[in-house]
Amino acid sequence: MAKKDTMNALLKRSISEETATLLLTKYSTLSDISAAGESELVELGMTEDEAKSVLSKVGKRAASTSTKTSKKKVEEEVPSAPMEEVTEFYTYNETELRLKDIMKKENIELPMKIIVDIAARIEGHDVPDDKCRELIVRANDMYLRHRMDQNESAGVMAAHSIGEPGTQMNMRTFHYAGVANINVTQGLPRLIEIVDARRIPSTPSMDIPLSGIAAQDENVARLVASNIEMTSILDVATIDTDITNMTLIVRPNMRKMEERHLEVDELVDKLNKVKAVRGMVKLSGYDIVIQSDEPSYKKLQSMYDAVKTAKIKGIDGITRAVLSKTEGYWKIVTEGSNLKEVLNVEGVDAQNVMTNSILEVADVLGIEAARNSIIHEAMGTLGEAGLDVDIRHIMLVADLMTNDGYVKAIGRHGVSGKKSSVLARAAFEITAAHLLHAAMVGEVDHLEGVTENIIVGQPVTLGTGAVNLIYTPKKKGDKE
Amino acid sequence: MTYGITKRIGSIKFSCLSPEEIRKMSAIKVITPDTYDDEGYPYSGGLMDPHMGVIEPGIRCKTCGCKVDECPGHFGHIELALPVIHVGFIKDIKMLLESTCCKCGRLMLSPEQIKDRMDSMEKMEELGGGTIEKKLFTKDTAKDASGKAVCPYCNETQIKIKLDKPTTFREVEDNHKLTPKEVRERLERIPDEDLRALGIDPETCRPEWMVLTVLAVPPVSVRPSITLEAGDKSEDDLTHKLVDVLRINQRLRENRDAGAPQLIVEDLWELLQYHVTTYFDNQTSGIPPARHRSGRPLKTLEQRLKGKEGRFRSNLSGKRVNFSARTVISPDPLLSINDVGVPTFAARELTVPLRVNQYNIEKVREIVRRGPMADKLDFPYVPGANYVIRADGRKIRITERNAEEVAEGLDIGYTVERQLIDGDVVLFNRQPSLHRMSMMAHRVKVMEGKTFRFNLCVCPPYNADFDGDEMNLHVLQSDEARAEARIIMQVQENILSPRYGGPIIGAIHDHITGAYFLTHNNPRFNAEEAANIMFKLDDVPMPEPFIDETTGEKYWTGRQLFSTILPKGFNTSFRANICQCTNRAECKKGNCPNDGYVIIRDGELKCGTIDVKAIGNSKGKILDRIARDYGSERAAQFINQVTRLALGALMNHGFSTGISDEDIPQEALLQIGNNTNEHIDKVTALVDSYRSGTLQQMPGRSLRETLEVSVMKELGEARDEAGDIAGKYLGMDNPAVIMAKAGARGSMLNLSQMAGCVGQQAVRGERLSRGYWDRTLSHFEKGDLGAYARGFCSNSYKSGLTPTEFFFHAMGGREGLVDTAVRTSRSGYMQRRLVSALEDLKLTSDGTVRNTVGTVVQFKYGEDGVDPAKTVRGKAIDLDDLFFEVFGDSAEDFIQDNEKDVGGDYGSLEKDEMEYIEEEGDGEDMDDLDIDYDGGGE
Repeated sequence: MAKKDTMNALLKRSISEETATLLLTKYSTLSDISAAGESELVELGMTEDEAKSVLSKVGKRAASTSTKTSKKKVEEEVPSAPMEEVTEFYTYNETELRLKDIMKKENIELPMKIIVDIAARIEGHDVPDDKCRELIVRANDMYLRHRMDQNESAGVMAAHSIGEPGTQMNMRTFHYAGVANINVTQGLPRLIEIVDARRIPSTPSMDIPLSGIAAQDENVARLVASNIEMTSILDVATIDTDITNMTLIVRPNMRKMEERHLEVDELVDKLNKVKAVRGMVKLSGYDIVIQSDEPSYKKLQSMYDAVKTAKIKGIDGITRAVLSKTEGYWKIVTEGSNLKEVLNVEGVDAQNVMTNSILEVADVLGIEAARNSIIHEAMGTLGEAGLDVDIRHIMLVADLMTNDGYVKAIGRHGVSGKKSSVLARAAFEITAAHLLHAAMVGEVDHLEGVTENIIVGQPVTLGTGAVNLIYTPKKKGDKE
Repeated sequence: MTYGITKRIGSIKFSCLSPEEIRKMSAIKVITPDTYDDEGYPYSGGLMDPHMGVIEPGIRCKTCGCKVDECPGHFGHIELALPVIHVGFIKDIKMLLESTCCKCGRLMLSPEQIKDRMDSMEKMEELGGGTIEKKLFTKDTAKDASGKAVCPYCNETQIKIKLDKPTTFREVEDNHKLTPKEVRERLERIPDEDLRALGIDPETCRPEWMVLTVLAVPPVSVRPSITLEAGDKSEDDLTHKLVDVLRINQRLRENRDAGAPQLIVEDLWELLQYHVTTYFDNQTSGIPPARHRSGRPLKTLEQRLKGKEGRFRSNLSGKRVNFSARTVISPDPLLSINDVGVPTFAARELTVPLRVNQYNIEKVREIVRRGPMADKLDFPYVPGANYVIRADGRKIRITERNAEEVAEGLDIGYTVERQLIDGDVVLFNRQPSLHRMSMMAHRVKVMEGKTFRFNLCVCPPYNADFDGDEMNLHVLQSDEARAEARIIMQVQENILSPRYGGPIIGAIHDHITGAYFLTHNNPRFNAEEAANIMFKLDDVPMPEPFIDETTGEKYWTGRQLFSTILPKGFNTSFRANICQCTNRAECKKGNCPNDGYVIIRDGELKCGTIDVKAIGNSKGKILDRIARDYGSERAAQFINQVTRLALGALMNHGFSTGISDEDIPQEALLQIGNNTNEHIDKVTALVDSYRSGTLQQMPGRSLRETLEVSVMKELGEARDEAGDIAGKYLGMDNPAVIMAKAGARGSMLNLSQMAGCVGQQAVRGERLSRGYWDRTLSHFEKGDLGAYARGFCSNSYKSGLTPTEFFFHAMGGREGLVDTAVRTSRSGYMQRRLVSALEDLKLTSDGTVRNTVGTVVQFKYGEDGVDPAKTVRGKAIDLDDLFFEVFGDSAEDFIQDNEKDVGGDYGSLEKDEMEYIEEEGDGEDMDDLDIDYDGGGE
C-alpha cells in the first residue's frame, strides 16, 4: 500500500513513471528517497541530472513539508474544513409572537416552553387581547411561585432522584426494540453504564430512519440495510478446505447472496483485496477457488481464517441491521454502532439517526450532542422501567458529566476523582493515595465542599448553611 | 457552655514530616521493644510509656499532666538504625530517581524547558487548575526528563533504574541493588528549584524525607491496649507492629555496630524494611501481610483509614450521635401526618436542653423537681429532667434523691435537660436513606406502648411497612436546628416529591377503598351512618342534610360528605382510576357509566368516584393541586381529614377479602380449562411444525428463536384470556376487584393468577430450559418442547399447582430474589457515586448552578429555573389550571387531543411488580455488597 501511495506522490511531482518505479525498487516512502544522497540514487542507475532533479523535487518538498508541517497544517485545515455553525433558531408563529408582544409590554419574562404551550392551546380560538394578557400575567405568577429557592442543593436532589428509583429497577431486563428483536440492555445495568460513560455500551445499537424512497419502499430499504449490515463470507457462503489441492473453495449461497444484494464477481473482487490471499482468488463455475501459493497447511489455515472473517460489504461494527416499520415509514434498527460511517450511507435520514453509544456521539457530533444523548438515553431507560424522574435532574447530571468538554464518568475516574478537595477525594475512594500525594505537594484544602466540612464538623455551604447572619450589637453609648 | 459557632476552620494544609520535626515533636525516644512489665506497669522508654499519653483513668500523662480525655496524646519516635523507604511514596521516589541525574541530582531538562514548564504550571494555577491536573502535568514533565542517556548538566551517563516491587530499586545494567541509604543520598542532591518543576513543594516535603530515618510513634490513645476479662492485656495491632520494628531495629544496630558480615546486616535491613512497610500498609502487593498470632492479618495504618469501615467513611463522614432512639414502628391512623408517637420509655430518656432565664425559672424548677421519673411509664405523662448543666459547664445528673436540692439550686444561665413533651421537633429516619424524604421532621406525641407510631400516609416516603421495621429518632438540640427542621424538613413540607413533582405522601390501601365506598355512585347515608363517618373529623361541621321526598327522612350523600373537606373554591376535573375508557374521545365525562369522571366545582364534588387518582400517593390529583396551590399546611390538613373520613366510610361499610373472593363458577373453570387446552394444543402444533421444518422463520431470527417467541406469545395469550374469563365472573361487588380497580392494592393480573391461570414461568426472560440433559425435570421426555415441560403453569394459585409447576414457579421466584440481592448493592454503589459527584452543586443567587469552587455547571437550573417539586409532571406551570382561572368552565374547549393527559400516572412501577421488589429484611445490609475499590486504584 505504502508503495502505491508513494508512486502516486512521485507522479504528482512530475517525476516520470519510469524513474519512479526505479526508485520504488529500493525505497518505499518519500522521506526515504529524500534522505538518500545523490550518489545512492546514481547507484540505482540514474544519471546525475536525473538524481538531482528527483532530489530537488522530492527532497525539497519533503524538507519543506516536514519543517512546515505544524504551521501548514493549521493554515490548511481551517479553510478545508470550514466549521459551519449550524444554529437553527426557533421561528415563532403568529400566536406566539402576539403573546411575546404582550410579555414585552408587561415586562415579563417567561420560558419559551410556556409560551409555546399556551399558544398551542389558544391557536385556532378567538381569544381577545385582554384574555391573552391575563393568561400571561397569571402564567407569570405561577412561574415565579414555582421557581427554585436559592442555595438549594440541586445536586443532591438530582442524585437522590436518580439513585432512589434505581432500587426499584430490574437487573436483567433485555428489551426487544420493537418487532425487530434487537437486544438492548435496559434497566439498572444500562443506567449504570450511562453514568459510567463507558466507551462501548454492552449492547450498542442504532436507530436509523430512512429518507426518500427508502423510507417508503421496502426493497430500497432492504438495499440500504444490506449496505449497512456488515457481511462476512460466512454469511453468504460456505468455505471448504481442499487439502489435496491446497485450495479453499468458497461456495456462495445464491439465496443469501441475493438477500444481501451481492454478485459473485463482487465477492471475488473483495476477496482479492484480502491480504493473505491477494491475487490468488479465481472464479471457477459457481464456486470461488483460492489456490495457496505455497504448499503449507499452516498457510492454508491462515488463509482460511483470513477469508472467514473478511468483510464483504457493510460498515464495521454493525453486526445486524433489521428493518422495521413505524408510522408507515421504514427504518433500520441495528446491533452494533458506527455513527460516523452510517451518516455517510445513502438513503439514510442523517439528521435523525440515533445511537446509544454516548462516547461515539461525543466524538462525531460534539459535546453538546453528547449531553443531549445522555439525557435522552437516561430518560429512555427510566421511562422504560415505568419510573418518572424529572428531566431537570438528568439534565444536571448530563451537564456535570460534559462540563469540561469531554464526557466524564460519575465516579473515581471522572467527576469524583477530580474534586478540588483532598478530604473529599480521600473520603470517596483510594483514600491513602490521595492523602500521600497531598502531603507530597503540600496541598491545601479550603474546606469549601460538603464532605470536607462534615469531616471537620462544620456547617456545610449549601442550603441554610450557605447564608450567614451577622448581628452587630449596639455599642453601649448608642441610642436608637 | 458556649452558644453558636464562633470560629471556622479556614483551610487545612497537608505536608510531610521531616526527621527533625519528628524528633522535635516527640515526647520520648522509644527504645524498649516491650510494653508492660510483669507488674503491669509500662516500661519507661517502651511503647506504652506514659509520656505518650494515658489510656487508664486516674493516671496522669507525664508530658502534659492531664488525665484521660483531656490529654490529646503525644508522639514518640524510633531512631532507625538504617534508613528505610516509605511504601506510600514508592512511585514518587521512582519518578524522582528516573527524572534526575544520578550524580548531580539535577532534573534532566534544559533550563528553558524547566522554565517553560514552570510557566505553564503557574498559568494552570491562575486558571484554577486543581491538584489532579497538576499531578498529570508533572507526571508528564517527569516522563520527559526520564530516560535520558546523559545528564545535560554534568554529562554523567545515566543508568536505568528498575523497581522490584514493593520497595527495592535495582540498577538495570549490573543488577546493583540500591540501598535506601543510596536512594536517600540521591534524593538529597535534588535542588529545590527542580523539585518545584516536578510539582513538589520543598518547604513541605523534601524528597529525602520519603526515606525514613526516624519513625514517628503514635500516641497510646491511638493504639489503646484492651484489658481482657482474665486481666491480661491485649495490645493493639499497631503496637504489635511497632514492637516488631523496634526488635529488628535493635538487632540491626547491634549487628552493624559489632561489624557483622554485610550479608547479615543486609538481611536485617530488609527485614526492617518489611516491618516498616507493613506498618504503613499491610496489603502491599508483593509481600505477605503481617499476621497476628491467630493468623488474622494485622490492621495497620492504611487499613485503618480506607474502606467502608475505615476512619474516613465510618468516623469522619458519618458520626455517632447522642439523643437518638430506635425501636419497632407501628401504624396509628389517628395521628396527624406530622406526628410521631414516641413511647414513654424513650421520651423519659431523650432530652431537650432548656436555658433557664428569669421568665421560665419557676416552670423549669417544677420540671427539675420531678426528677427523672424513669419508672413512671404510664399515663398521664409529665416531663421530668435528667441533667442540669450549671453555668460553669458542670453537668449534674438528677436522681430521685437530689431532685429537690438541684431544683432549689437552679439559677439563671443554667441549662436543664428536659424530657420530651408533645410538640417537640424530632427527626425521624428509616434506612436505607435513599432520598431526602427518608429523614423528615415530626412533632412528638408521647404515647403508651413501646413502638414509634405514625400515620400510614407517611409510609411511602420512608418505604416502611410494619412487618418488624425499626426506625430511628433524633432529638434536635438547638433552636436553629429546630426552626430549620420545622420549616424545611417537616413531613408536610415534603408532600410533593422533587423526583417527579407529584405527591409522595397520600392515601394508601384502605384509605382508597374507603374513599371509593364513600363516593362511588354517590351512596346515601342516614343520620346515624353519617355521624359515624364524620365524627372523627374535629373541625368539620356536619353539612345540611337532604330530605328524602318520599319518606321525608334526612339523609346525606357520600359526595356531600367528601366535599366538606375540600377547600372552598377548589375546581378540577379528571378521569378516575376506575374509568374504563381507553382514550379521551371515548370519555363521556359526567355521564360516565362507571362513575369514573370526577368533577369538582367550588369545592363541591359534583360527580365521579374518589380513588387513587384523586387522593392516592404519587397519583392523587386533588392532593397534588391542594399541596401546590393551598400550601403545605392545608395539604396536611386535607390528608389527615381524608384518611379519617375514608376510614369512617370503610368502617361503616365493612370490608374484608379472602380466598372465597377468587371463587368462580364451575362453568368458568371449565371455560378456562378448555381455553388453556386450546392454546396448549396450538403450542404442540407449533412444536410439531418446528420439528417437521414447516415453521415459518421470522426475519432475523433462527428457527428455534422463532419457535420460542411464538410459544411465549401463545401462552401469554392463554394466561390473559384465562384472566379475562375469570374477570368476567368477578364483578365490582367483589372486594378484591374493588381494591384492584380503585388502585388500593393488587392488580387484575394478581387476580387472574389467583383465579384463572398462573401462566408461563420464566428465567432471564425465556422459558425454563435448564436442569437435566435436554429437559427441565426427569418427569418429561428428553427434548420435550411442549408447554408443560418448559414451565407453563395452567393451574391457578387457588386450584393449586402440580408438583412440577410448583418447582418451576420456585425457579422463577428464585430469580427474583437473586435479582433483588444483586440490585440493592449495585444501585447503592451507583447512588454513592452520584451523590459524591453531585453533592457540591447548588443553585446560586444569580440562577446558575455551580459547585462550591465556583465552576458553572448550568447557567439556568433545568433551563427554566423551576423547582421539580413544584412542577406539574415536569411542566413549569399547570396549563389546565391556568386556562380554568382565565376562562372558567369554557376552558375545556382549549384542551387539545394530542396533549398528554396531565396529572395521569406519576411514575412508579405497577403494584404487582412492586411486590417482588419489596425489600425483605433489614435496611442495614443494604450496601454490604458495596464494591469498594480502595487501594486498587491507578
